[in-house]
Amino acid sequence: MFRLQLTASGQHREPGTFNRNVMRKHLSFLLKSAARASFFVLLFMSYTAMAQNLKVSGTVRDSTGVLPGVSVKVKGAATGGSTSVNGTYTITAPRTAVLTFTFVGMKTQEFPLNNVRANSAGEYTLNVTMSPDQNALEEVAVVGFGTQKKTTMVGSVTTISPKELKGPTSNLTQMLAGRLSGVIGFQSSGEPGSDNASFFVRGIGSFGTGQVSPLILIDGIESTQTDLARLQADDIASFSLLKDATAAAVYGARGANGIVLIKTKEGEAGKTKFTFRFENTLSENTQNFKFADNITYMNLANEAALTRNPLNPIPYSQTKINRTASGTANPYLYPSNNWIDQIIKDKTLNQRYNMSVTGGADKAKYYVGGTFNVDNGIYKVDQLNNFNNNVKLLNYSIRSNVTLQLTKSTRADIRVYGQFDDYNGPLGGGKEIFQAAIFANPVMFPMRYPASYAPNIKHPLFGNAVKETVPGSSVGGGLYNNPYAFLVQGYRQQNKSNLQPQIELTQDLDGLTKGLKFRFMGYVRRNSEFDINRSYFPFYYSAGSTDGTDIVLNALNPGGAGSIGTTGSEYLNYAEGDKELSSALYTETAMNYGRTFAGKHAISGMLIATLRNSLNGNAGSLQASLPKRNQGISGRFTYGYDERYMTEFNFGYNGTERFAKNHRFGFFPSIGVAYVVSNENFWEPMSNVVSKMKLRATYGLNGNDAIGADTDRFFYLSNVNLTGGPSYSFGEDPSLLYSRPGIQVLRYANDRITWEESKQLNLGVDFSLYNALNVTIDAYKKRTSNILQDRSAVPSTMGLLAAAVANVGVQDNKGIDMQADYSKSLGNKSWVQIRGTFTYATNKIVTYDEPSYPASLAHLYRVGHSAGESMGYIAERLFTDDIEVDNSPSQAAIAGGVRVRGGDIKYRDVNNDGVINTNDRVFMGLPSTPEITYGFGFSASHKSFDLSAQVNGNARFAFFVNSGAFNGSSLSESGIAPFVQIGGYQNGLLQAIAEDHWSEDNRNAYAFWPRLNSINTPNNAVRSSWWMREGSFLRLQQVEVGFTPKQQWRDKLHMKNIRLYVSARNLFVVTKFKLWDPEVRGNGLDYPLQRVYNFGVNVGL
Amino acid sequence: MIKTMKKITKTLVALTVALLSVTTSCKNYLDIVPDNIPTIDNAFTSRTEAEKYLFTCYSYLPNDADPVSNVAFLGADEIWIPPSRRGILENFNMSWDIARGSQNAGSPIVNIWNGRFQAIRQCNIFLENISDKNKVLDLPADLRTRWIAEVKFLKAFYNFQLLRAYGPIPIIDTNLDIFADTEDMKVKRMPFDTCVDYIAKLLDEATPDLPPLIGERATEMGRITRPIAMAIKAKLLVLAASPLFNGNPDYANFKDKDGTQLINTTFQVSKWQKAADAAKAAIDASELSGHKLYTFVPASNLSDTTDRQMSIRNAITERWNAEKVWGLSGSNANNLQRVAMGCLTTAFNVNNSNSQLSVPLKITDMFYSKNGVPINEDKTLDFSNKNQLRTAVREERFYVSNGYQTARINYDREPRFYADLGFDGGVWYMIANNPGISGTDESTFYMQAKYTQPGNSGAEGYYNETGYFIKKLVEWNLTNSASANTVRTYEWPEIRLADLYLLYAEALNEAKGPDEADIFVYLDKIRTRASLLGVKESWANFSNNPAKYTTKDGLRAIIKQERSIELAFEGSRFWDLRRWKDAVTAMNAPITGWSISQSTAAGYYQPRLIFAQTFVAPRDYLWPIATSNFTVNTNLVQNPGW
Repeated sequence: MFRLQLTASGQHREPGTFNRNVMRKHLSFLLKSAARASFFVLLFMSYTAMAQNLKVSGTVRDSTGVLPGVSVKVKGAATGGSTSVNGTYTITAPRTAVLTFTFVGMKTQEFPLNNVRANSAGEYTLNVTMSPDQNALEEVAVVGFGTQKKTTMVGSVTTISPKELKGPTSNLTQMLAGRLSGVIGFQSSGEPGSDNASFFVRGIGSFGTGQVSPLILIDGIESTQTDLARLQADDIASFSLLKDATAAAVYGARGANGIVLIKTKEGEAGKTKFTFRFENTLSENTQNFKFADNITYMNLANEAALTRNPLNPIPYSQTKINRTASGTANPYLYPSNNWIDQIIKDKTLNQRYNMSVTGGADKAKYYVGGTFNVDNGIYKVDQLNNFNNNVKLLNYSIRSNVTLQLTKSTRADIRVYGQFDDYNGPLGGGKEIFQAAIFANPVMFPMRYPASYAPNIKHPLFGNAVKETVPGSSVGGGLYNNPYAFLVQGYRQQNKSNLQPQIELTQDLDGLTKGLKFRFMGYVRRNSEFDINRSYFPFYYSAGSTDGTDIVLNALNPGGAGSIGTTGSEYLNYAEGDKELSSALYTETAMNYGRTFAGKHAISGMLIATLRNSLNGNAGSLQASLPKRNQGISGRFTYGYDERYMTEFNFGYNGTERFAKNHRFGFFPSIGVAYVVSNENFWEPMSNVVSKMKLRATYGLNGNDAIGADTDRFFYLSNVNLTGGPSYSFGEDPSLLYSRPGIQVLRYANDRITWEESKQLNLGVDFSLYNALNVTIDAYKKRTSNILQDRSAVPSTMGLLAAAVANVGVQDNKGIDMQADYSKSLGNKSWVQIRGTFTYATNKIVTYDEPSYPASLAHLYRVGHSAGESMGYIAERLFTDDIEVDNSPSQAAIAGGVRVRGGDIKYRDVNNDGVINTNDRVFMGLPSTPEITYGFGFSASHKSFDLSAQVNGNARFAFFVNSGAFNGSSLSESGIAPFVQIGGYQNGLLQAIAEDHWSEDNRNAYAFWPRLNSINTPNNAVRSSWWMREGSFLRLQQVEVGFTPKQQWRDKLHMKNIRLYVSARNLFVVTKFKLWDPEVRGNGLDYPLQRVYNFGVNVGL
Repeated sequence: MIKTMKKITKTLVALTVALLSVTTSCKNYLDIVPDNIPTIDNAFTSRTEAEKYLFTCYSYLPNDADPVSNVAFLGADEIWIPPSRRGILENFNMSWDIARGSQNAGSPIVNIWNGRFQAIRQCNIFLENISDKNKVLDLPADLRTRWIAEVKFLKAFYNFQLLRAYGPIPIIDTNLDIFADTEDMKVKRMPFDTCVDYIAKLLDEATPDLPPLIGERATEMGRITRPIAMAIKAKLLVLAASPLFNGNPDYANFKDKDGTQLINTTFQVSKWQKAADAAKAAIDASELSGHKLYTFVPASNLSDTTDRQMSIRNAITERWNAEKVWGLSGSNANNLQRVAMGCLTTAFNVNNSNSQLSVPLKITDMFYSKNGVPINEDKTLDFSNKNQLRTAVREERFYVSNGYQTARINYDREPRFYADLGFDGGVWYMIANNPGISGTDESTFYMQAKYTQPGNSGAEGYYNETGYFIKKLVEWNLTNSASANTVRTYEWPEIRLADLYLLYAEALNEAKGPDEADIFVYLDKIRTRASLLGVKESWANFSNNPAKYTTKDGLRAIIKQERSIELAFEGSRFWDLRRWKDAVTAMNAPITGWSISQSTAAGYYQPRLIFAQTFVAPRDYLWPIATSNFTVNTNLVQNPGW
């Protein structure tokens, strides 16, 4: 827990050394670079020397560096001082005294001086290393519009030390799950720029289509998940998660989904302090899906064609298969590609740089942080082009937090933050390359022919072939998709900026009445984003041969007669992508009051008025373009007696522009009580064992105005397209018809639409055992009602052109959040800390607008099921043969015109009506969002080394392996069905399918894959229990080993602090699901999660 | 202490007031929606806007020239396509799947239920608003009347489409509010006869206010006229009088949940009389408006044979010819011509002339002999050995290419056979790029459809499955080259005058029997245009059943066959087979064609079984209502058998 270094040195100093404050003012400071300003503050308390005293000096530090401002006191006496900016102190105290070292966020430490020995020079040195105190860190927690003392807090708030959010990733959202109790989270893509982890506070509270993710406030600025992702842990001063009604009530209309509150660091007065962090990371895919070899591919493609119809032509001749297999045939005539190997690298390198400067004097302090991250994708870059087609995300930001003490009672905080993403990547984004590689034929063409085959041609000779026609489908004619050409043909640049200046004024009104404060905060936020695509059209060639060895290249798309598909171009073409612009303006005005009377009655009150306006520059429609506004008054009133009994009342009275006038404002009150049992006198005997015990209970209401689609805000107005609806044409001449634009109703007016509300009861307990094990447990029940949903019970005879919606849904949520930490000192050179979190959140739909089903269809009711549960068919097994198909309930309704055969999936006729159709679907399995997220880890330190590890897991969720084919447009809806050709795409063959599928020779009714088919087989692709997988996993998320050189080494380097560390993420995962990383769930064909190995240096100057 | 508390209280009150005043000072802060934001009210502020809504009501008219969305092309047994549906016909779950027996209640194929009710809601909105004289103030009264009549017609027509497919339907005469009680939304199906009366009433209301013909041809052709409304009423009443809905014992147990009989089981001959009256009224109104049977103006450079064929072909394909009582200006035959056209020479590219619409042999057999009687009744010509090979002689050169060898069945047929069908050896006159003697029909295009010949490309999905192409649907200006295809589109003839003649003849025979002279007058008008002798003369002279037309049953058979031939490939047979209750016979017969993968005449002219159709009666006569509707509307009952 702490490291005590006792060194003796021979120097002797006179007692009572007194240092004057030396301060040099630079009034021009505000106008100049903060880094160039210099302030020196040396602060020592005067001290009166006493007889038989020892003069003890030393340095106080924590794991990252020296600690200025640590209070050093003689226990039981009023004497003491604090450490200088160098972390040094000198104190004179009696031999019998005990020195106490206290610092916010650190464990208080005590050292009896009689243990201190003089060194050879007769000096008494006591160097102290402070260790973080998980409890103490939370002594003050940031809560809605303010801070509260942790010990007197009533609401359910999880806080975390920013240090725990540091990891070898440039995406902060990946650090939350498993570390914050109350967070359900997972990451479903590893693509730089798209690798935000999804996270939800206490699960997904509403099945509505509106906002379910938490409100994120960074220094009070409403921010996006990406803003959070880009935030640097180094810049964070505090991180709180508000979970229950009391904690969130002041955010009224926006608090129902939990709130993430982050404050960034502010300047520290004193000598300018620099910190640098540099990390270099090696990144690789955690798991690539495995393809079957190409001989198997061809054999099974033939099988797929023949097994459905023996008269079908086979796609690959035996000659081709044999020659490809021989290994000696010309690879350009008998190509065999492994697209993953050909376009995906084994590993890539990323860099992260971070620096901060802080300093100033009491009247003006500053914190300036800067970040520069480089995240590279995993694609190969060809020397063919001089542009980079790999993903390269440059992310840089600068933050300047300046605090000015304008008068004795007036403080101004000026924060300016700029955040910039410069993305460079392949056309269509990174995941489309994976898509292209998976949905590509491996044996019809090589990726590229050597330039020597056509010496007079300058452009690259990409391989391709003309598609054969596939019986029973419309494919045929055009060219294949060459994923390599797709990757290298161009690049996309996307730039995003976010600028947000902010000012905050705090005025002490102690003059008016003691404890009263006025505060004003306002910010402006401007976001912009654009992208540009540059690419050429590849020239494709196919190879022919007269003698089987010599190659003649045949241009496939040179333009002119017989040219197939898009004609190639030698030059780059240019296409502008989307541009997004948005702005927001926000102000809040608050009065705070807090005072303790008679030492026992702690009273506080807060009233705050807020206004928020945001505007989107490319909203897409008139209604969507109108500003979004919120207006409200919130308040908090607390009363605490003797730090034993606390009560708190909060409210939010909030308005939104979305609803009809009579529904615009909502009132969201909450009340909470807490009882610190351990502060009772009767607890005294137990306090050695249970050192702290606090009980909490809160109940209240929160709201959510972000319901329904964002573009569909004004429910009380109809939305009509007066110029683009369905129309008709008249006239004699078909080329000169008279037409008028038709009218299209996009939404019917409904002035009854109002807030989604959630009522939440939270019961919590905080306790500490032996002052070492701290546990917080919260259990809650939350009912979300007024959930907006389409009225499914509106018969089609109503003829509605747009769904009728209403606030009808009700969902119950309940769960438990737990966190525990334990710290232990092992001898005087080591300490260990263990921590764990467990979050369980489950829900059930209570009311759902659905038809009244007859008894035979009662399984179609959603009510009673979890909102995240999917509907699917119950797969019994694979049909044995065609005769069984004919004698079973007809599956024609889901077979999409493809005959159901033996070896296809047999479904259960749930309602026994002799046919399988949508009425036979049931809710199955577990929700798609995990119900349990947990994590545990430890940190340990021994001498100069420290070690930490974190294990995370998700449990109780299910997903469906997508067994369809590439659907031609959306990757997330495309599946693994082999051989299916859509456009130029043709699905590859996964090893798992090659190894285990039903075939006429192997009629395994439980094979992984049903009977092969060369076209899409809707019968086997529908969502069913056959493809459902339980996704629980446990992963070693992070391991870190650090080394901090000894003081003398650091002195030699003239560094206050230096730490070297190596870390790794996603080292392994334990799961039953083997096809791909289960954390990405159904998106197995997306950009995989990354395993990273990281080397980092942290320097403090 | 108390003093302090007071001070605090005062301060807090003062500050609260201050804060509240900050907030309330911008009490309109949340009022961000400007006036004049487009809402439904804006649609009825001015004539210009309201006209858009009128067009929106029209927008639900069917695209009947489209081979995919018009169920009547591929949904029965009249037209077949190759199994690998390529190009335009690629869709699964389209009408062809109904023909192949895949109809189902879970997700019904060609499910028009939702769309038609949407159309009806739009019409109701329009009528509600336009009927209010305080809205659309700048709309002249005569236009208001006309628009109301047009939309009333459209509403009736959309109901008619539902009725034809589903039988009894719920009647939505006024819109329910979207907040309406769920119970009120659970509408019931009305008895079939009630629905018919309702639709007829709408049509009657609309008829007098509709223009008898379109004056502003450039901008209004395609708008609803009085003859159109009367023609649809005739079709409605014929449907209601037909065996499927008039005293059909199969539906004895087809009842609503409260026991109401939904389709009557007692035959009423009076319905046929009403139908006959309506048909006659429609004919009279049409003729008054200038509609008449189309005849081609003989061209000096063409043979009489070709002239006769063009009278038949161009009745469909010539734009806005006088026979078209209702042309769908919003549905032009473009894709239809592509999928119908075959490759006449090697210069034609099958990617543009897809050859896919194929006519089963039983349909080609239906066409009369050249004597105007069924081929199995003709006592002068023997068609019993259909596939016997015969070589065309010079006199036949405008039907079959001179010297070409084809099957016996392709000789000695009525002009409509040659006008409607393309077949191996059959002449296919096109006005452009004619390879023959310039400007004439001598040595012109003819189809060569045996394997490896130009008309049989062997391309995947782009070929003719039976050996018979649909010439009738292809406008004669079509040109085709290796890389492009240029069609001259034509508005789809939703109703031709010939259709009304046939309806009238049919209804009259059913109502009164073969003694009615009008029956023969109108049948013979059609036969005359097809260069055939009248019914009585033809049967008397050439049929081995010469008295057939003297009985009601015999004449019914004659009228049905005449109707099937005259309206072949126009989407009539699909509905006629149903209302006649003949589908169970016709659609349980196999689909056959020539052996198209054979390259010799002997091999090619072997009938080949293509598909064994099944039609389950009475189930397949009416569409299934999608199962999901019954869980939402518990008052709704499903059609029998589904």
